[in-house]
Amino acid sequence: MAEVILRNLTKRWGDVVGVDDQSLHIRDREFLVLLGPSGCGKTTTMRMIAGLEEPTSGEVWIGDRMVNQDLPKDRDVAMVFQNYGLYPHMSIFDNIAYPLRVRHVTKDEIRPRVEDAARKVELVEFLDRRPRALSGGQRQRVALARAIVRTPKVFLMDEPLSNLDAKLRVLMRAELKHLSHELMTTTVYVTHDQVEAMTLADRVAVMKDGIIQQLGTPDDIYNDPANMFVAGFIGSPAMNLIKGSIKDGDFVTAGGRRLTPTGGKENHSVVLGVRADDIRISDPGEGRLDVTIYAFENTGDSTFLTVQWGTQRIIARGGRHLRKEQGDVVSITMDPDHLYLFDPGSGSRIRN
Amino acid sequence: MGRAWVRPPRVRDNILKYLLVAPAVVVVAVTAIWPLIEAARLSFTVGRLNRPGSLEQYLGWENYVWAVMEEPAFWNSVWVTAAYTFLTVALTTILALALALLLAPGGRLRSGVQTLLILPFAMSPALIGVSFRFMFNPEFGLFDAFFGALIPPLANVSWLADPILAFAVCIMADVWGWIPFLTLVLIGGLISVPRETLEAAQIDGANGWRVFRDVTLPQLAPVLAVVVILKSIFSLKTFDQIFMLTNGGPGTATQTLSHYIYFNGMKYGQIGFAASVAWLMVIPMIFLTYAYAKLVFRKDQAQ
Repeated sequence: MAEVILRNLTKRWGDVVGVDDQSLHIRDREFLVLLGPSGCGKTTTMRMIAGLEEPTSGEVWIGDRMVNQDLPKDRDVAMVFQNYGLYPHMSIFDNIAYPLRVRHVTKDEIRPRVEDAARKVELVEFLDRRPRALSGGQRQRVALARAIVRTPKVFLMDEPLSNLDAKLRVLMRAELKHLSHELMTTTVYVTHDQVEAMTLADRVAVMKDGIIQQLGTPDDIYNDPANMFVAGFIGSPAMNLIKGSIKDGDFVTAGGRRLTPTGGKENHSVVLGVRADDIRISDPGEGRLDVTIYAFENTGDSTFLTVQWGTQRIIARGGRHLRKEQGDVVSITMDPDHLYLFDPGSGSRIRN
Repeated sequence: MGRAWVRPPRVRDNILKYLLVAPAVVVVAVTAIWPLIEAARLSFTVGRLNRPGSLEQYLGWENYVWAVMEEPAFWNSVWVTAAYTFLTVALTTILALALALLLAPGGRLRSGVQTLLILPFAMSPALIGVSFRFMFNPEFGLFDAFFGALIPPLANVSWLADPILAFAVCIMADVWGWIPFLTLVLIGGLISVPRETLEAAQIDGANGWRVFRDVTLPQLAPVLAVVVILKSIFSLKTFDQIFMLTNGGPGTATQTLSHYIYFNGMKYGQIGFAASVAWLMVIPMIFLTYAYAKLVFRKDQAQ
């Protein structure tokens, strides 16, 4: 149990900047997700917490101790790797027992603790097998068991679900969520999957180019994105971003169409962000703007309409029972309460 | 417009496959199998080069019995070979492993120069023998002067005239020549050890030594076994280096089995006897080769 504090943490390899002067306070017992595209510095940040990577400058604190000079073995963290990092020459039991063995836990104590950890991840019947005899999901559970078999100060998870197939990933996600509630240990979780971030996190740090773009609850980053990158990265489908300007309190597209009232100051160059969910679809003439359907997709539980006017395309979500054809005309109306304006140059949010 | 090519006669796949391996089989048969069989036949004859007809004069197991029961020189070369093999295999493997750990990616000495390492391996064993002989020459030898300056009591030692030191020089030359190749093989083995397992062990709480002992070494074991077996085979066969460096001397202090066979067969003309000793030497070779083949051609190498 401990908080993790990063102070002005920087990692550079020559001219390449991995993490750029970032500070972050991870609270005790918090589940914090580092989210971002590949190469954004999220894994590097985690590896610096683990001690597998040495910071170029800045400090890493775990609990009330500055751990920059500590080896990974002395930091009392547990890590789950993307490729599991299991020891192929050891049985599952020995894999899970290894952290205890190297810490000189007595034999009598090891067995019950390993069995307890194996029970938590439902692996008890596999303890005699080797990792290669297990499926991907089972291997992932072994890696989890190895992490929870002792009570480290911090759990570090590096894209633990990304090597699993889609179905298994959803299952394991729920198991992780359940487990993390049970254990209540500070956890840092790295992923590029925004659904994992949304579902698991207490707070999410969205990273890009070595810089934390926004730190907030899943609610915050979904409903109140700090900039255009966060807005575009979070949510599936991605938020529609439309270039245009503000005239008389209305958003006007580059093609000159008055799309929706937004309020705000006159501005000749803004980007409007609107989520597919916040666009209402109605019959032609009934909404704000009549558009042609460029593509109609039915996912079973909802429908997605890519609509077009001029050269502009946006995506809107329709009801589960909506049926349209490519080329049909519909009318769209944007929910004025859920519109976001961004500065096209800096990408930062324009708040009214 | 005629067809530009003539349709080849149809060769059925199951015949073709034998045709394709046939040249290799012929080469092996002529250069390895036949000499082995012929040597086996000779080992049961009187087989003296200077006595016409003796190559067909059969003796039964006499040569073998003679070698094992009546020849102290045979047993001397057996012990020399055994000691030589054990020491060169152990030293080469340990030193090559240490070097590989330093030179592998992530190791402490990683640099662009490791390709230079292969140079000693590119030298022929005979050349290594000659150069070491010169370097240990009591009058103008480089190593002789070097060791003399480093350890004064060794200043007036004539290295190759002392049975134990001559043996040590032979081992030194062999280890020197073999380390590079085995280092490269082991670097390859180290690269194939997944990095995540090493990092997992560090985080699990293992110090450098335990990461090596518990995680690196077991995963390197198959490669290490191949290295040990290969090197054993080569050590057992050592001839040219010894021939150029000490010629088995002083006395018979460095006379390996190969050298003993050569001397009896070529110098003393006792081809039949030499063949029987050669066949005695085949026995450990077969075990080693079998173990090697089993490791290398293992079917279930799935991760």
